[in-house]
Amino acid sequence: MHIIIVGQGKLGMTLTKMLSTEGHDIVVVDKLDEVVDSTVNAYDVMGICGNGADCSVLQEAGAAKAKLIIAVTASDELNILCCLIAKRMGTEHTIARVRNPDYAKQTHFLRSELGINMIVNPEYETANEMSRIIRFPSAANLDSFARGKIEIARVRMHSDNPLCDVAIKDIRKKIRAVVIICAVQRNDEVFIPSGDFVLRRDDIISITGVRAELSVFMKQTGVYKQKIKNVMIIGGGRIAYYLSTLLADTGRNIKLIEINEKRCREMSELLTDDVTIIHGDGTDQDILEEQGLDRQDALVALTGIDEENIIVSMYAESKGVNKVMTKVNRHSSSLLNEIGLETIVSPQIVASNLVTRYVRALHNSDGNSSMQTLYKLVGGRVEAVEFIVPDDAQYTDIQFKDLQLLPNLLIACIIRNGKIIFPCGSDVMKKKDSVIIITAGRIIEDLHDIFM
Amino acid sequence: MNHRIVTYNVGRILLVEAALLVLPAIGSIIYGEDTLFAFALTIAALAAIGLISTHSKPEKTSLYAKEGYLIVAISWIMMSLFGALPFVISGYIPNLIDAFFETVSGFTTTGSTILSEIESLPKSLLFWRSFTHWIGGMGILVFMIAIMPKTERTAMHIMRAEVPGPTVGKLVSKLGASARILYGIYCVLTAIEIILLFAGGMPMFDSIVNSFATAGTGGFAVLNNSIEGYNSLYAEIVIGIFMLIFGVNFNLYYLISKGSIKQALKSEELHWYLGLVTASVVVIALNLATTTYHIGDSFRHAFFQVSSIVTTTGFSSIDFNKWPVLSKGILVLLMFMGACAGSTGGGLKVSRVIILFKGFARDLKKALNPRSVETIKVDKKTVDENIVKGVFVFGASYIIVILASCLIVSIDGFSLESTFTAVLSCVSNIGPGLGHFGPASNFADFSAFSKLILSIDMLAGRLELIPILILFAPATWSRK
Repeated sequence: MHIIIVGQGKLGMTLTKMLSTEGHDIVVVDKLDEVVDSTVNAYDVMGICGNGADCSVLQEAGAAKAKLIIAVTASDELNILCCLIAKRMGTEHTIARVRNPDYAKQTHFLRSELGINMIVNPEYETANEMSRIIRFPSAANLDSFARGKIEIARVRMHSDNPLCDVAIKDIRKKIRAVVIICAVQRNDEVFIPSGDFVLRRDDIISITGVRAELSVFMKQTGVYKQKIKNVMIIGGGRIAYYLSTLLADTGRNIKLIEINEKRCREMSELLTDDVTIIHGDGTDQDILEEQGLDRQDALVALTGIDEENIIVSMYAESKGVNKVMTKVNRHSSSLLNEIGLETIVSPQIVASNLVTRYVRALHNSDGNSSMQTLYKLVGGRVEAVEFIVPDDAQYTDIQFKDLQLLPNLLIACIIRNGKIIFPCGSDVMKKKDSVIIITAGRIIEDLHDIFM
Repeated sequence: MNHRIVTYNVGRILLVEAALLVLPAIGSIIYGEDTLFAFALTIAALAAIGLISTHSKPEKTSLYAKEGYLIVAISWIMMSLFGALPFVISGYIPNLIDAFFETVSGFTTTGSTILSEIESLPKSLLFWRSFTHWIGGMGILVFMIAIMPKTERTAMHIMRAEVPGPTVGKLVSKLGASARILYGIYCVLTAIEIILLFAGGMPMFDSIVNSFATAGTGGFAVLNNSIEGYNSLYAEIVIGIFMLIFGVNFNLYYLISKGSIKQALKSEELHWYLGLVTASVVVIALNLATTTYHIGDSFRHAFFQVSSIVTTTGFSSIDFNKWPVLSKGILVLLMFMGACAGSTGGGLKVSRVIILFKGFARDLKKALNPRSVETIKVDKKTVDENIVKGVFVFGASYIIVILASCLIVSIDGFSLESTFTAVLSCVSNIGPGLGHFGPASNFADFSAFSKLILSIDMLAGRLELIPILILFAPATWSRK
């Protein structure tokens, strides 16, 4: 598929990496020569140097025949303009990154009236993911399927966890929660475990189930965390704004520390009164003590600098803050795991998951089982995908034990008429079921891809 | 440095060469020649070494500029070494150094030969000799990238090291697809030439091998007297025109095939190339008409010879060694310049000459008015200052390499004209020089040591210096 990516910032690079490994024909456009050069050297893509909203540049990039253009430059206005021009030139689909809160309310208008197919707001999506974790703090990370009915939570196995050195098939004997362990990350390796797989200390396991059962699981394994009442946010950028608005009406006490006084005033104008805004350096330990770090249930580090976020988070964890969340732009999960930070959220990964899902669905538009949701877990090496079984599928009503599934692939659960089924060998897929598939090292675009 | 990835890729190239050697082996069966054993043994050796080095895929597939250069340089040397084996084993060129020189000359599309009696070689060996031109013309690593279903994401470093020209762009976003398009154009043009030559009465075998030699801008002929031996105006015109065609940047053919003929014809490099060719033909023809031949023959030989030299093919329709000095002088200048970037020809490349001229003019202006600021533009687009600098450095290195080799080769004691043009001809991948090494004679008289130096020159010229020169740089091999 011919895809043009305009802007090679952090998100542009992440998208280039993800989409070029999926085998698409990619043309990247950026203003800076060096950036284009280094992208072309690193990935099998074509590079063009120029302004992405310049007709001749878009012409050269092949906008007339392209299937999709993704505009992710630093400027919202340029992104929108770029999409409008490309659309007129003949590009079939357009995705623009728009992240200014002023425009965030008019995404519907941008989509329906200006014809931009998808508006990505990485900061909002990141805040959304963080607010979900705050509502269910036991999980290190949390993704939801089927409109929130089913969730995947990631949990780290501490040494006091009763499941250490227990095989997966024996878990039911110890714990009475109806959940499935769908992926295990051990150091740098990822497994989709079979029944004989034995869990070890420091594994990070991904478990699927409904919220109530997940809670039971967490309680019985001792990783359950109390409900979060007091949240401290460090750094008052866009994510902080979105997160505060998302949490504001849930009755939680929010304390936001921002270093720039002018920005503090802006935030105070924008936000409701249940958010306490503090002017000060949130990375300063004295200020954290003064503002009562020890009384907080959660700390969210959202400054613009990765290093400061990491250090503040480590400090907060050492002070016994129950739940610590860290925003990191430069994502390298293996290193961050070693440091021991539990919940790391990266706006690039969140946004590129959304775009990848759109691209997969687009690429598969000839196929008929529509992809509902896609999450990349464990640094992108495991994917959790939700499909709806199409009406004309060949594989319905056949028991799973008679179907040849690909290795390293798991059907985590089936949702039929709102009822959740954890499938075993005698279960079947039926039309219009929602099916959640977990795979490692493979790209699944259509439900029929899962068979041998 | 990632040694495994270098070995792995070189191994793959050797496997590709083994597969390519099957063609001449089949030829030796068809013609019932005694070379089958030589080919079979070489194929077996290549396959064995290739399979051992590609046995396990390297864990780390990261590949950077340094590995890219090394893969290209080592592949070309190994390829030439093994490509020489059929000549040695079959006993037609018993000396390994001679056979190595001949094969390097083939792969680098130079076309200098150490054979005085070409016609006595069996057809399968003649085919292999010309086939090396065809493979080397577009580049064997490009071929490998073209046939691989999926390229490593950093394979651009390999492509850049092998494809000639100051900048390397892709035609389409995927490297593999770009390489396939290039080879597609190459095959189609070669096929057209074969058909045209055959239609003009040349034997099929000769049509094929001469077309291979033209396509790669190589210049190995199958007759002792090169193209002169056919004594056919038709063949000279077809080959003359096709040499010029293969000297044009292949990107332009891609543009034409997409229907943007206007855009292709706007290329500034093409204008300079055709302008300089026309000017040279006219001057040489007039010079010849006043001294040697009558006017018709003057244009015929001037056209063929200019086309042959500027594209660095090196076919001859006449012994131009006997031409007046002005004509020979123009030919030597054309030897320096060579063909367009992104073609199969060698030399400095027309686009570099354009940048050199424009840069020179700019610096003159700047000397007069030091505050003036001016960017160099080619095709109405600004050329990055780093590329301009790179072109000047390349021009200087080119001359240094030629002068240094001249000094070493002059130990053999040939005249200055002979020594200089022989070295220039090797570095620019042309074939014949002047004087003792003119089109009517060959390179057999050089000492073994000089032949080795000239082989390195040919490789350095084909790969545009850096890949070969870094083999001699301590920094390449240091572990720091």
